[in-house]
Amino acid sequence: MEAKYDFERKYREQILRCSRCGFCQAVCPVYGATLRPGLNARGKMLLLKEVMDGRIDLSDELIETLFQCTTCASCTHNCPSGVQVPEIVKTARMDMVNIGSCHPAFTGMNEVLKKHPNIYAEDEAEEFGREKKRQAKYVFFAGCVGLYRETEATEAALAVLDKLKVDYTLIEEVCCSGVLEDVGFPLNDALVQTNIDRILATGAEAVITGCPYCARTLNNKPQYAPLRAQGVLVMHIAQFLQDYDLGVHTHKKVTYHDPCDLGRHCGIYEEPRQTIRKLAPNFVELPHHHADALCCGAGGGVRGAYAKNSIDMARRRLREVEETGAEVVLTECNSCVHNLGNAKLRKQKFTICTTTQFIRDLMEEAG
Amino acid sequence: MLDAQIKDALIRIVGQQNYTDSLIDMVSYSYDASEHRARPSCAVWVENTAQVSEVMKLADREKIPVTPRGAGTGLSGLSVPAHAGIVMDLTRMNKILELRIEDRLAVVQPGLVYADLEKALAPHGFFFPPDPSSGKVCTMGGTVGTNAGGVKGAKYGTTRDYVLGLEVVLADGRIMRTGGKTIKNVSGYDLTRLFVASEGTLGIITEIALKINPKPTVTTTAMASFNDLEDAGRAVSEVMRSGILPSVLEILGRETILAINQNTDLKLPEVDALLLAETDGYTKTETEFQMETVLEVFRRNNPGMVKLATSPEEAAQLWTARKSAYAVLARIKSHFVLEDVTVPIGKVPALLKGIQAIAKKHEIQIATFGHAGDGNLHPQILYDGYDPEQVRRMEAASDELFKLAIELEGTLTGEHGIGLSKARYMTLEHDAVSLEMMRTIKRAFDPNNILNPGKMALDAA
Ligand SMILES: Cc1cc2nc3c(=O)[nH]c(=O)nc-3n(C[C@H](O)[C@H](O)[C@H](O)COP(=O)(O)OP(=O)(O)OC[C@H]3O[C@@H](n4cnc5c(N)ncnc54)[C@H](O)[C@@H]3O)c2cc1C
Ligand code: SF4
Ligand code: SF4
Repeated sequence: MEAKYDFERKYREQILRCSRCGFCQAVCPVYGATLRPGLNARGKMLLLKEVMDGRIDLSDELIETLFQCTTCASCTHNCPSGVQVPEIVKTARMDMVNIGSCHPAFTGMNEVLKKHPNIYAEDEAEEFGREKKRQAKYVFFAGCVGLYRETEATEAALAVLDKLKVDYTLIEEVCCSGVLEDVGFPLNDALVQTNIDRILATGAEAVITGCPYCARTLNNKPQYAPLRAQGVLVMHIAQFLQDYDLGVHTHKKVTYHDPCDLGRHCGIYEEPRQTIRKLAPNFVELPHHHADALCCGAGGGVRGAYAKNSIDMARRRLREVEETGAEVVLTECNSCVHNLGNAKLRKQKFTICTTTQFIRDLMEEAG
Repeated sequence: MLDAQIKDALIRIVGQQNYTDSLIDMVSYSYDASEHRARPSCAVWVENTAQVSEVMKLADREKIPVTPRGAGTGLSGLSVPAHAGIVMDLTRMNKILELRIEDRLAVVQPGLVYADLEKALAPHGFFFPPDPSSGKVCTMGGTVGTNAGGVKGAKYGTTRDYVLGLEVVLADGRIMRTGGKTIKNVSGYDLTRLFVASEGTLGIITEIALKINPKPTVTTTAMASFNDLEDAGRAVSEVMRSGILPSVLEILGRETILAINQNTDLKLPEVDALLLAETDGYTKTETEFQMETVLEVFRRNNPGMVKLATSPEEAAQLWTARKSAYAVLARIKSHFVLEDVTVPIGKVPALLKGIQAIAKKHEIQIATFGHAGDGNLHPQILYDGYDPEQVRRMEAASDELFKLAIELEGTLTGEHGIGLSKARYMTLEHDAVSLEMMRTIKRAFDPNNILNPGKMALDAA
């Protein structure tokens, strides 16, 4: 029988390989927040299997589970059968969108990016008082969250780069549009082209991003291939900073939250730790760390579409921070900072910030 | 679909937020880790014993099937609602109610995840020994419901050996307590044990009192390869006669070794069998003394190689092969069945040989690994479930496998239970009288046959 949907054409064999062992239930953050097995990876794979078997069809009834996945890849990492759940879910979301079944929050996002160059539909980006569009060795690419929400983190990253006398420039960046694929739409070609043109125009040899998700998109998506063809490297600022001697220290007890996009998705675990250990010898790991790290709950559009569960996931992560007794929790993703910050309870006295923010503050203290 | 009135009544008992009949949940509750499938009419997430009791009263009155469910990791269709009705998900009753180390006692709710119990016991230096390999996800209710066991069965037994008492809600909603909180107890019939491995057919377990053990702090691990199955089998028998009890004695058969080599870079020796042994205790001297006995036995039986781990890292490396077996085999074909036939320990080689012959005869891939130390093997039959011919061959091979196990004085199932998968083989193992007694017991507890109906051949005439 001819496959009806893209998810089946691409992933039939993988979906069938799901042996329903349930191991993903132990790690899926959405399950953790809801204790509803229909929402974990197994539940999602079973629905798609029933669609392939012709027992049910894609419909609005499936929105609640297919659009409620942070694409954190915890399931994949623990799956004996190696099922690539986030990729399958993303493709199924596109199939859903094609038949007109989409979470309203996500339809909105696609519409916004048709009209605006950022996911927040804002017209004015924060001005950081740095030169733009000049010829430089590096381009700093902040990402939407860094430009419109966590502007402090971006300012800090730029301050650190200034202090280290890095030859960088900003550009009139637009949304990398990677998030669209997460929520059921293709990347926005116009936005992609704008970014490519503006990056290449600077003659930079590398792009440093403040956002692990932008780094992934610019690095891996075929639409951004022209960057690679021109030999432009893309890296996250955690990778860029690892070899610098920053010359600042703290006695504070510090811990680190691995963002899914940097850790499980890119395998970058040690670079940030290398930097943090140099700064803060009193470093402790969270109970779940490296590939076992718990998701902050923000990814895959879940923060926008299922805010309450998203916050519950973040709270679970913050309870782990409490257990360690750390005074500071560092991470490398503005989106994680944002969600963890929203979820923080008054009684939780620790600070949440990006590693570069922490470095900037130490540098300022040191004068 | 349920009658609207019944739906309303259920919602009144558990609350709107704890009732579902949405498609997402109904599909998810149609399956466990086996190939069986049956869609329920609705599901409830119960929060306490009182709710369980009220749901049962309603279901009994209206004669609606109720299937209790933990994590749904069963491998025999155990929590698949064969006759539809209500799925009762117990995972939200997940508390540890009491932890009394000096009494060697843990009292837990059925939805507690096995690994969470382990985590709570670890700081006290205690553990709950059965150790099913699904421990990260499976619940204590499911563990009792199936009498789960694991790699340590030979030395530490299975769940049955640790359940001291239960709170159970009967089919008609009455609440019953069995056993108690003491290590010894011979007061009256052993109703507690009756519920272990009852697969949700006799009542809903709402509280479990468990015996816990101090955890040995030192282990020693070794591996040996055998070119000839006979030699491996003799080695197993001799270890069991030698006077020491290894904490683990695992076997990997040739098909499994080949599959691991084809899919990983472990480069295992391609032999008939690999044996993995672990001894445990509280001092190095003690575990090494035991291991020396095991190694002597290995050396006497023509091994290819014998490797003793000299560090925890090396031990972990030796374990990799055994631990990767399931994941490797799970990826080879679109479908598999993981059997758990069990024979007297001395008959493990005969079982392994028989399995090879069955695979050859039916031209189907069967990879075997398992717990040589307690006679429990896991032949994993790999096939394509969308190819009717392969399905037929898989079924024919299963038929013969079960017959073989019984011929060897064994049992259909040492761990995973009867459920739907093995219901039709019950007569192979149990005589007509014992089957009738089982059915009599079922009728006494559940006269309307509403608790997990369709399982264990209990409702056959
Ligand atoms: C990869 C994998 C590895 C496994 N390894 C092992 C192993 O090493 N050893 C082993 O023994 N098993 C093993 N199993 C089988 C299974 O995981 C265990 O039997 C497990 O203990 C079942 O727990 P569960 O919470 O998933 O129960 P479920 O599958 O949800 O239920 C199992 C049975 O118990 C009943 N039940 C559940 N809760 C209750 C309750 N509160 N009251 C009454 N009845 C109840 C259900 O109705 C059902 O009949 C494995 C399974 C998988 C998929
Ligand atoms: S862990 Fe993998 S194989 Fe197991 S149920 Fe989840 S997705 Fe399926
Ligand atoms: S990617 Fe994360 S949220 Fe999505 S199903 Fe897997 S574990 Fe759950």
